[in-house]
Amino acid sequence: MRHASVPPSVTNHAAISSQPPLLRLIGLLLIHGCLGNQLMSSSSMAAEPWTQWRGPQRNGIASGPSPPLTWSANKNVRWKTALPGSGISSPITWKDRIFVTAAEREHPDQLHLICLSRKDGSILWQRRFWGTAPTRFHATKSSMASPTPVTDGQFIYAYYGTGDVFCLDLDGRLQWQRSLATEYGRFENRFSATSSPLLLANLLILQCDHYGPSYAIALDKQTGRTRWKTPRPATWLSWSSPRLVPSGDTQELILCSSLKIDALNPMTGKLLWTIDGMRRECIPTPVFGHGLIYAVSGPKGPTLAIRPGGRGNVTGSHVQWENQRGAPYVPSAILVGDYYYLIDDQGISTCLDAHTGKRSWQKRLTGAYTASPIATDQFIYFTNEDGLTIVLAAHQDRYVEKARNRIDESVYASSVIDAGQLFIRSSRHLWCIAH
Amino acid sequence: MAIRYSIVATCLLCLALPARGADTIRQAFQVIGQAGSEGRGSAAASQAVEQLLQHGIEILPRLFEHMDTDNLVSANWCRYVYQQIITRELAKPTPQIPATFLRTYILDSKHRGRTRRLAWDLLDHVEPQFRQQRLPQLLDDREFREEAVQRVLEQADEARQDGREADAVKQYQIAFQHARQSSQITRAADRLAGLKVDVNIIEQMGFLNRWYLLGPFDAPEFSGFTRQFPPETKVDLAATYPGQDATIGWKTHQTPDRLGQTNLVQAIAPTREAVGYAYAEVHSPVDQEVQLRCGGDDNMTVWVNDRQVFARNQWLNGTRLDRFSAPCSLQAGTNRILIKICQGPQHKNPAVPNNWSFQIRFCDATGLNVGLKILKPTAAEIAAEKQRK
Repeated sequence: MRHASVPPSVTNHAAISSQPPLLRLIGLLLIHGCLGNQLMSSSSMAAEPWTQWRGPQRNGIASGPSPPLTWSANKNVRWKTALPGSGISSPITWKDRIFVTAAEREHPDQLHLICLSRKDGSILWQRRFWGTAPTRFHATKSSMASPTPVTDGQFIYAYYGTGDVFCLDLDGRLQWQRSLATEYGRFENRFSATSSPLLLANLLILQCDHYGPSYAIALDKQTGRTRWKTPRPATWLSWSSPRLVPSGDTQELILCSSLKIDALNPMTGKLLWTIDGMRRECIPTPVFGHGLIYAVSGPKGPTLAIRPGGRGNVTGSHVQWENQRGAPYVPSAILVGDYYYLIDDQGISTCLDAHTGKRSWQKRLTGAYTASPIATDQFIYFTNEDGLTIVLAAHQDRYVEKARNRIDESVYASSVIDAGQLFIRSSRHLWCIAH
Repeated sequence: MAIRYSIVATCLLCLALPARGADTIRQAFQVIGQAGSEGRGSAAASQAVEQLLQHGIEILPRLFEHMDTDNLVSANWCRYVYQQIITRELAKPTPQIPATFLRTYILDSKHRGRTRRLAWDLLDHVEPQFRQQRLPQLLDDREFREEAVQRVLEQADEARQDGREADAVKQYQIAFQHARQSSQITRAADRLAGLKVDVNIIEQMGFLNRWYLLGPFDAPEFSGFTRQFPPETKVDLAATYPGQDATIGWKTHQTPDRLGQTNLVQAIAPTREAVGYAYAEVHSPVDQEVQLRCGGDDNMTVWVNDRQVFARNQWLNGTRLDRFSAPCSLQAGTNRILIKICQGPQHKNPAVPNNWSFQIRFCDATGLNVGLKILKPTAAEIAAEKQRK
């Protein structure tokens, strides 16, 4: 099996650290520019593929052009394709292909990985596997296919709530697989594991928090072997996904979980710092910008803006600001420019000043929300469980609604934008919205 | 596309493998069988897969043989081959799907459920009527029981809607007897109740629903799980103890919950940072190995005949049906069951209810009761205490 070097969309501080000083500085500036809340206008940048949960920079924001402002079940739909089984994982894109996971509701040990053509939505290949240990899951809002897969452009890494990880090449050839549930114990989870894997250099990193012995683990992405595994004995069930943030000339692996946030050294798994103050169940994935980690914990928990770079318990020293209102339980929040947007499960949207945490506006949108918002440099997209997407203008200190678009199918998965195409995963179909 | 199949296809499969090819195939399966933890054997398995993909539908029985293993990693490598071979075969104008082999395989309960299910999915391509015909007969099958019961429930519903009440009752009773899933059991029970036929869910599922209860003992913060109180040394139903706020003693309780969940907030007290105990004596008709299935909020410890058979130190974990299971030995005659249930501090959010409850049953591997009878407390004791109150 051959593996390419790390593509541009996968940040790699470890690699940069070994470069000469000037190159290293340039590299870090590039990374921090990308991670630093899209300081460049994303519409002026080339579109990056949506290779993982929450997109190329793991923040819900697409580079490149926006999709059509308006659509419906019959308007601006390039194609829609029925998907097998169920799942709330997001699709991911790479060039002319889309990859999506699914699992069967009646027989949750039946796992699917599907590759579709971006051009016409046809299924190019579909693989089925058995999952080791299905857990309980929500009747509509989750399945064993809740984690979003990740790709480095050569291989796809699919992780399921059954505790299984599969690596396939882009043509669907199986490379390796791990049954973490067999090796380290079954997950105990009442809504299925949802945490999505991330790639760093040669590592595939997973956050496995559950009722039983929780852990974070890094697998060698070429062989599947364990590079490090960090037990998290004080951690309870959570569904948040890990993310990387820059800190000096290194990176920190941020794990939001029940009651606390941990930062690990992503290359070794060693604990760097901890912050208390999260609620007992954490689902949203944190974002990063303006040098701050924005973490939110529900239900009805706080939003914290945290400075990375601490050591030990930094609850008293590294929380830049805290806001107790408007926190979602399920949807992740999004940081667009100077504003931090939250949508709670009941449809209350809140916009905070990213620098101070002060509320800019709050408004009840229509319906209930499970999917996380996504954005381009121009617009922010909030899709509710009834399939209604409300499009807001970005970079505004007030609520500016631009469109309401409905597809009349339930939506629980977070949508994806790549090169002006919007991909919505409904309960039955994958939709491609495009001019 | 008309898909034809041959009854003799299975026999032909055996003849279709020349000796040298058979060696290669055997070696390939050996390699795949060694794939396992830590991604071990993946590269070799990947090569073996390529060799197997040189073959066609003739290796189907071998694939089923090697998918039928506890090594799920190896099974998935084989399934990967299976899927591609089947996809190729079904794309042919006249696919040769070995229906006889599949029918036999499906009905042989020695095979693992997941491979039998896979075989049935394939057979559906060529003999969809087989499922229709055979499924209702699999009411005791460990893999297909649930679907078979579902079919019976649907037939019963049809009979009820058509006004054939006697038929409906018969079908619901069959469903009730064979169902092991709580939703199917309660559905059948509800339908029967609507037809004025009583059945006992508690007995059917083997719940224990009559108890002597004691508590609350004071257990600040999260100290309850590790702290020992007198019942763990000796159960003395006549004794009294200093409790959290007052002197406490054992009292009887029968839960009204149809699935045997005992609510200690109601039965003992709405409290926090406390420990409660439940005790019962049950009669087993024989020495037997059974499954203890339980759930508790907060954490829970279970002793059977003074031997600890289950303990779970976890707070805020919720009482859910059959959440935990543990193997357990019961002796013929009387068995003493002691349960400890902790109650933690109030959640920071006062809106989060402080549940304090448990649910426990003893059953066989399928979930059926194992013939236990509650000896103590007796129904008369429960009635007497109710009257005293």
